[in-house]
Amino acid sequence: MGLLSIIRKIKRKEKEMRILMVGLDNSGKTTIVLKINGEDTSVISPTLGFNIKTITYQKYVQLMFCGRYTLNIWDVGGQKTIRSYWRNYFEQTDGLIWVVDSSDLRRLDDCKMELDNLLKEERLSGASLLIFANKQDIKGALTPAEIAKVLNLEAMDKTRHWKIVGCSAYTGEGLLEGFDWLVQDIASRIYMLE
Amino acid sequence: MEGEADGSDSAADVSALGKKHLAMLERLSNRHQSRPDKSGSPPPAASFESTSSFLSLFNESRMSIESRLAQCRLADRSLLQLNFDEISASIANLEKLVAESSYYLPPYEVRSSLKTISDLKQALDNLSSELIPKKKFSFKNKPARKEPTAPSSKGAEADGHGSRPAAKAGSLAVAVPDSPGFRNRANEVLAKDVRGLEVGEFTLSDLESCEVRLIGCTRALFVHRLRNCRVYAGPVTGSVLIEEAEDCVFLLASHQIRIHNAKASDFYLRVRSRPIIEDCTGARFAPYRLNYRGIEQDLEDAALGEETGNWSKVDDFKWLRAAQSPNWSVLPENERIGTVDISELSA
Repeated sequence: MGLLSIIRKIKRKEKEMRILMVGLDNSGKTTIVLKINGEDTSVISPTLGFNIKTITYQKYVQLMFCGRYTLNIWDVGGQKTIRSYWRNYFEQTDGLIWVVDSSDLRRLDDCKMELDNLLKEERLSGASLLIFANKQDIKGALTPAEIAKVLNLEAMDKTRHWKIVGCSAYTGEGLLEGFDWLVQDIASRIYMLE
Repeated sequence: MEGEADGSDSAADVSALGKKHLAMLERLSNRHQSRPDKSGSPPPAASFESTSSFLSLFNESRMSIESRLAQCRLADRSLLQLNFDEISASIANLEKLVAESSYYLPPYEVRSSLKTISDLKQALDNLSSELIPKKKFSFKNKPARKEPTAPSSKGAEADGHGSRPAAKAGSLAVAVPDSPGFRNRANEVLAKDVRGLEVGEFTLSDLESCEVRLIGCTRALFVHRLRNCRVYAGPVTGSVLIEEAEDCVFLLASHQIRIHNAKASDFYLRVRSRPIIEDCTGARFAPYRLNYRGIEQDLEDAALGEETGNWSKVDDFKWLRAAQSPNWSVLPENERIGTVDISELSA
């Protein structure tokens, strides 16, 4: 039980991840954050600025490993006027969550354009990308596969780690699946070779 | 902090070292008990963190993945995607195993394991592109988007089952059933009772000089390009998004309301959160005044039973300062309309 083993254990304990959550307005970003944190989602005003949420994420994976991470989630407002401020939050982002309102068919072109712009950003080039096809509970919403087609995700840079997950921030469905993937993907990148 | 799965005694050691002083006191008082503890902890840790056990586990998983990849060639086509997903998950787990173990593995082992993983991924990619040809997807019809009021869609029945405007089908390139709504109408009274219909989203777009009467609850309401219209709508349990409205009157109750590019329009709202405007001029606000038989129950069911007073707490994203925004105002009481009753007018 030397110094080295202590360092190892501390390192294993304090794993922090910075996650940036963006998307068009009305896509449900704030609702997702509150829902996954178990908070009341019945009164949420459109985000003027941003919210930061720190949550401890613990996940028992196969084998004997226990992953425990601190997620700093930056939920940044999506109104057109404030989208230009997104870039102020790019630095040191480990994971990017792009939230799509799957029921808003008319603005999917806007959505694709904003996402494409975002992915051109060099400071985000190393970030894992999770796309939440939100509002799956609403009748008439596109499925994740359809959203993937419209956003042309297959054409993305091959080096990018990405996944699209259908979810409903209203019922909570799909949220854990998405976060599980994101956390695991980030963990396998940043806690691998140090 | 003590609840970790990999041995609570070793976890206790770390916390003790983190708080040196506490630990010292503790150790002094429990010297006799702590000694056997300490001598007991290295063996499990060592067995858990040994390179050889990692390697055997790693190789086992690798071989199972390789054999499953080989089996894919023989597998039923319909199950292929499922198989690939499973294999991909196994590879991800393997990757995680390496990540978790990387701090005690010799650098060579880490590098070679990573190489193995990337080879496995490559093999999976190759195999899946070979066995499941990708469908091409393109945005061929994009230019069609510029003519949303194409004559072909003008006559189309907008209520419920009509075709989506040509533009939409073109740019999306995915076949989607049309969502309920009214589109491309002029000088009409458009009424719809959605009670009992399980309506999700409802769309109003490209309407001119129309009156819309919507009875019952919807999950989401999208409003786009309305001129000189009056919109009377029952509660929306999700959000309302209004874009490009001019000379209109809206009576809306919703959890969230966003208004973009509206000019000279009045909004009679009941809303659970603060309504927002962006790029608007001459927007005026007043409390909700709609009535139809059963509206109280609908409002109650939508958690909009009580007036919140939020109708006057408008956030203007184009006016981020304390002074009152010039883009909106409270509608003076003597200019407000009376309660609108649409009970008799449901279609």
